[in-house]
Amino acid sequence: MVGRFLALVASVSLFASPAWAEIARVKSSVGVAAIERGAARLPAKPGLQLNPGDRLVTGKDGRISLSFIDNTRFSVGPNSRVAVNEFVYDRTRQQGRFLTQVDRGSLAIVSGHIAKSGRDAMKVRTPNSLLGVRGTRFIVEVSK
Amino acid sequence: MKVRLGLASLALMLASCGGSSLLLLPDEAGGHGAVAVLEANGKPVDAVVSQPDSRTKLGSSSPTTRPAGQLKQDEVALLGGMPPPPRNYVLYFVEGTTDLTPDSRPVFDEMKAEIARRPGVDVEVTGHTDTVGSADDNDALSQRRAQQILNLLASVGIDRSLMAAVGRGERELRVPTMDNVENPLNRRVEVLVR
Repeated sequence: MVGRFLALVASVSLFASPAWAEIARVKSSVGVAAIERGAARLPAKPGLQLNPGDRLVTGKDGRISLSFIDNTRFSVGPNSRVAVNEFVYDRTRQQGRFLTQVDRGSLAIVSGHIAKSGRDAMKVRTPNSLLGVRGTRFIVEVSK
Repeated sequence: MKVRLGLASLALMLASCGGSSLLLLPDEAGGHGAVAVLEANGKPVDAVVSQPDSRTKLGSSSPTTRPAGQLKQDEVALLGGMPPPPRNYVLYFVEGTTDLTPDSRPVFDEMKAEIARRPGVDVEVTGHTDTVGSADDNDALSQRRAQQILNLLASVGIDRSLMAAVGRGERELRVPTMDNVENPLNRRVEVLVR
């Protein structure tokens, strides 16, 4: 578990270059809502483009909604911290891999093409579990 | 230094480790899917939650699922905050040209209004052809058709940075045909408004 987490941290920092293509766009946000990218903290304004490795962070009155290029949609609730650790998508074949980590708070998901493209191609990690997404609409909550 | 930071945040994360739960809902079309539990506390688990409108407490090797009952206020708010589903528009062309058919003009206007309505919108414009002519010519024609629609949208005030155009030639026929078959339904541009 520790080894895997460190490997993840390493791969995210390795690839934290600005050369990434867009993977998602912020559609709306309210309250305290930011995208953390490396050491930077960007306000989650509508239209902001996400990169793999980005973290979605909200305060107690904060919310963020976004759509990914595979048509997955997210709604992030208050007091949340959600990282998009891995997102790889081939638009032509509509296949890819998607790993999201919910450290705290709540996340509603409507899954898109990646979840359909292969068994457990889309995964969600919480502090105590790893989920494989096989169907479309659900909420993951991590309480304090 | 980076590794040390990683350890620090890992320690923090473990210290604040909370319970995790899953709420599986019907999808927007009325069907329902499933979520597999692959690991709990680092150990492999083989469980699938497939009961719609159910709550599952995560973190044990045999997670228990119960009916969801009425949704809580914060869950309703969370679902209400979901972006609307993407919309797909199809525009048709006169044979061998980049001219829209008359029937496609109102579709274009509706699409333009939808793009203007959506905050944080992004638009994927994909051109297609029928199977008349060579594959290379059709790649080029489909790209011109997509670019034509992108230019039209730009001319009515849609920001170019929101849009991307790609040509798919005769690879994705809407109506399957043999080679060199003229077909008006295949001469199209599809626009995904997200």
